[in-house]
Amino acid sequence: MTSEPRWHPDLLRRFVATPYVFSSGDDINQLRVESNDLEIALGVRNSDIIHRKESRTGGLLCRLIRDMVGPVGGSEISMLSDGPLRILQQGRGTVLIHDRERAELLGFVSRRVPVEELVSSLIPRLLGAQPEEKIDSTAFTKK
Amino acid sequence: MSFFSIDQTVLSHSMKLCFAGAGCDLQTNSVDLARALELLSIAADPLRAGRFEMRVVVDESSVEAVGEPHFRGLHHVVTASFGSTNLFVFDILRRTLSARVSGVVARDDLFWKEKLIPITLGVLGAAMGLVPVHCACLEWEGDGLLVAGVSGAGKSTLSVALSENGFNYVSDDWTYISQRQGSIVAHGTSAPVKLLPDAVQHFQSLERHSLQVSMNGELAYEVDIAEAFGAQVERECQPRWLVFLERIQEAGADFTPMSSAEARSYLNSSVERLPPQLSEAGAMRERTIQSVSTLPCWRFRYGGTPQFAANELREFVVTRRQEVYA
Repeated sequence: MTSEPRWHPDLLRRFVATPYVFSSGDDINQLRVESNDLEIALGVRNSDIIHRKESRTGGLLCRLIRDMVGPVGGSEISMLSDGPLRILQQGRGTVLIHDRERAELLGFVSRRVPVEELVSSLIPRLLGAQPEEKIDSTAFTKK
Repeated sequence: MSFFSIDQTVLSHSMKLCFAGAGCDLQTNSVDLARALELLSIAADPLRAGRFEMRVVVDESSVEAVGEPHFRGLHHVVTASFGSTNLFVFDILRRTLSARVSGVVARDDLFWKEKLIPITLGVLGAAMGLVPVHCACLEWEGDGLLVAGVSGAGKSTLSVALSENGFNYVSDDWTYISQRQGSIVAHGTSAPVKLLPDAVQHFQSLERHSLQVSMNGELAYEVDIAEAFGAQVERECQPRWLVFLERIQEAGADFTPMSSAEARSYLNSSVERLPPQLSEAGAMRERTIQSVSTLPCWRFRYGGTPQFAANELREFVVTRRQEVYA
């Protein structure tokens, strides 16, 4: 036993290095994209949606991890919204989270999901910039 | 695409619950889930560690059972999915758990008892001053004994043997530590005791049970210790000693003192590394670990059966108590 702390393996993949970083804008409106995948970083940086003012107030930090080890099954999209958090799940391996208060877009992208789908479909849905067609919330009584 | 807005759903069942020293404000649209969680809750304690909110939307139109677990985390958010319908989102900074589950999962009492509540305490605990430590915990006449050891060291088999030898059982693998009025308190959950297949050699009553694949993929017996062994279960106690298990080949047992630095290193190694966004929670956790590591610590090296080790530990505790209370 040594006196140096030893850590658990990073099972949540929290500490995956994100060497591909792009940032633009001033301090208040800074848009920052961080990823472990160059294609994702470039795709998100170049997408319209995260540059649109109505999609965000102030800056936005996007940290997106290409998940090469997670499960890949399924393609059904479901969304969950609770207070400042909005979560999009696609199949088993993709989960995107938008924290509106903290202006953060975080997520893991399954290896099966193309960047084009991520930036043209999944992120716009998450940010509420695309109509939520076929919404199924019939199980609940609305306030 | 399905869309579930917790904000816009009437969560008509609200209750205040308590799990392992943490208060929980539950809101759900399912009376079945509310009743199941109420049964798992312990009596409310005004001095508990902290509170969290749990908001669960139950989708009765889905019949998906508990699927393979999948966990991910970034910054202050951790997600856990058990199939495509059952999604749990932990916001550590805001101390909230938001979830959408199927009607089948809402009524799966064992899932909440054995999986979801321990996972929730493990994930949100850091923000509530509740630190999960990789130790079993047993209680003897009001005094707690934390039993640490790497996986496979024999914590669970020893916990069963100790609970058959006069100790009350608090936990066999993960114990949740909080600080209360300057003292540390160890809490257990109602998670089952997990015993590897060879434990049947030492505990014949296991023959009545079957092996199951546990969440980490291991084949093990996962049994309710009170039901399977008639153990007396305590929800919490005040730890007095910390013992590190080390199995040796030769028969025999010995205790040697350990430094608090070694104890702290072990305890740090058993907690999840936290990202910079959770630095405040990390500092609070560090203070609790520091307090635990100042307990009298011993290395317990033993070779032999769990029953033999339990006898040795019982004698050790009796002797230490005589020293303390003399």
